[in-house]
Amino acid sequence: MNIDLSDEALEYGATVRKALESAGGDQLVQRAEDEPTARDRIVAPVLEELGAWSLDPRGSGDELEAAAALCRNAGYWSVAYPVAERICRPVDLGTDGLLVVADVRPAAAIGGLDLRWTAVAMSGRRSTVAASGPVAPPRQSAFVSDLQLAALDDDGSGDLPVAIVLPCWTLLGALDRALDLTRDYVLEREQFGQPLASFQGVQFQLTDAEVERTGVEELAKHALWSIQSGQDDPLGSALALRLAAVEAAEVVFRVAHQLHGAIGFCDETTLSWLSRYSLPLRRLPFGASGTLDQLTRHLGRSGLPGLFSGAFPA
Amino acid sequence: MDFDMGEGVAALRGELRALIREHIPTDFLGAFTSDPADLETAQRFCRLLSDRGLLCMAWPPEWGGRGASAWEQTVVREEMWAHHEPRGAQYMGVNWVGPTIMRHGSAEQQQEHLPRIARGETIWCQGFSEPNAGSDLASLQTAARRDGEGWLVTGQKIWTSYATMAQWCFLLARTSKAERKQQGLTIFLVPMSAPGIEVRPIASMIGPHHLNEVFFDNVWVTEADVLGTVDNGWQVVQEVLAFERVGIARYARCERLLLWAPSALGDRWDDLPDELRARWARMLTHARRARLLAYKVVDMQNRGRVRPGDAAAYRIAVTRLDQESADVLADIVSLSNLTSEAATRFRRAVEDHWRYSRASTVASGSIEIQRILLSRSLLAAR
Repeated sequence: MNIDLSDEALEYGATVRKALESAGGDQLVQRAEDEPTARDRIVAPVLEELGAWSLDPRGSGDELEAAAALCRNAGYWSVAYPVAERICRPVDLGTDGLLVVADVRPAAAIGGLDLRWTAVAMSGRRSTVAASGPVAPPRQSAFVSDLQLAALDDDGSGDLPVAIVLPCWTLLGALDRALDLTRDYVLEREQFGQPLASFQGVQFQLTDAEVERTGVEELAKHALWSIQSGQDDPLGSALALRLAAVEAAEVVFRVAHQLHGAIGFCDETTLSWLSRYSLPLRRLPFGASGTLDQLTRHLGRSGLPGLFSGAFPA
Repeated sequence: MDFDMGEGVAALRGELRALIREHIPTDFLGAFTSDPADLETAQRFCRLLSDRGLLCMAWPPEWGGRGASAWEQTVVREEMWAHHEPRGAQYMGVNWVGPTIMRHGSAEQQQEHLPRIARGETIWCQGFSEPNAGSDLASLQTAARRDGEGWLVTGQKIWTSYATMAQWCFLLARTSKAERKQQGLTIFLVPMSAPGIEVRPIASMIGPHHLNEVFFDNVWVTEADVLGTVDNGWQVVQEVLAFERVGIARYARCERLLLWAPSALGDRWDDLPDELRARWARMLTHARRARLLAYKVVDMQNRGRVRPGDAAAYRIAVTRLDQESADVLADIVSLSNLTSEAATRFRRAVEDHWRYSRASTVASGSIEIQRILLSRSLLAAR
């Protein structure tokens, strides 16, 4: 048993975090929102320098772990850029990235980027993204635009686990940050002459959020291992992770906003930006109910692989 | 990364399952039922495990163990709890009474108790909680007062599992008053046959033998019954609680029952409402989540890097899973007209799980205490 990312992956993740902080940190998303057409120039070169676009997550377990560490730390700074989606690019089509899309009203947070995309549906059907729709101002849209798809083939099933799991690592990074911000805030902010952190009502909300976050962290590592070691049903593991991640995000951001009070909605706090730009990760290709529906249909009556797989006749 | 425990551990899991299949009746729901045959089954099974060197695997060889790895111990916890703990109350002796006696007991105490625990011959009960000392355990009032060469113990314990069948009590009592309530407490190893001890079962929805009151009326104990040193019992209690840090592998029974459901229902599974099957899928995710959080705690312990917050987060997740999965399973049963013998076994197992799960956020450190521990860890200076 070795249930942690490799030391190399963790070190790479730490390097990514520092590099993105040096490149602007919390300002990255704000600059992208101020100047939507420049967002490719703001983030992509930093990641290119870190070798992000030459990572091959399907090539080796080490690269998959490095990709996960990269996504988590990009999520920590809320870079508002499709990092995981670019890393997951198809190996055979020469496009720049892979998007998992819903059958109904496919959409992705790729507005304004001059890149070539492939979309894959849960059926495994791959499409060329012929065009993305007009982008509303990012303040409202978080760069999400509707996609027009042109069907290509049905060869995408094998790509689904990694293309679902890596964006969950980005979301995990956002949850890490939301809790860090909230912890710092309740330790600093005083009411009734004492820090908010001294009130048990505050402490217990924080613990509920942390249980959710740390649960996602373990499921995310397990889902990664399911892919890299060729376990049974990596797609089931990916969907289970996504369900836990999306539901955790509901709890973590609800608690983070509640404990920040009104200031948490204001743009002078990082939470306001982090919360808004977490939405595409939480809603696309499907939110909590849509993910649960996918998972339930996928599992049928066999359940997730685990301690008692095969112990009962189907 | 590697979440595979390895071939040796998988073989152990297989061995335990084969023994359970062969020696435990398929309708076994634990040793603590109104049928004395269930307790006999558990006692026989413990002797069998002992004969095969499987009862005290984690113990050092000098006391009959084989220094089992943390992951082997994890598998034992999982398989036993998933199959309704066929060791009965012995898990207490094996998991923490024995190890605590190894660490703090006198040579005489070790000789007297450890071989019997290793053979699965003694049942212990834990004399900690009192009517006015639950989560605030150090406020306990049961007192041991000096009387010549020994002490006279007077007081009342409550919620004491297995007290009706136990031969020994691991008793925490106050031996002096000090500035801090955690000081002046002493552990005594008391035979339940001692004059002055009275056990009164408490009828409860959880089932027989789980909850009892134990009254001590001038019970004579001697220096030889003291574990460790007088007035320093609190430190021993902290170690006992640390042994229980990972605690019961509740997730294993949840996962087993959840996976059993479609098989028990047969074709009727497809008639369940979509919403209920979705809740089932969600619970499977939560069962995996709790299992992985347990593995994280085991891994940290294994590497000597225990963080109380990790254990508390796991305990919160697993006790919630216990209750929520029981609710989902109860709904599944209530919407199914189960009549076959196999299906009836499933229904009875779910009912037992539901009732027992109500106490999971209360027993062995309430969920509120776990939240306090986790929040302390989260808010501590970095």
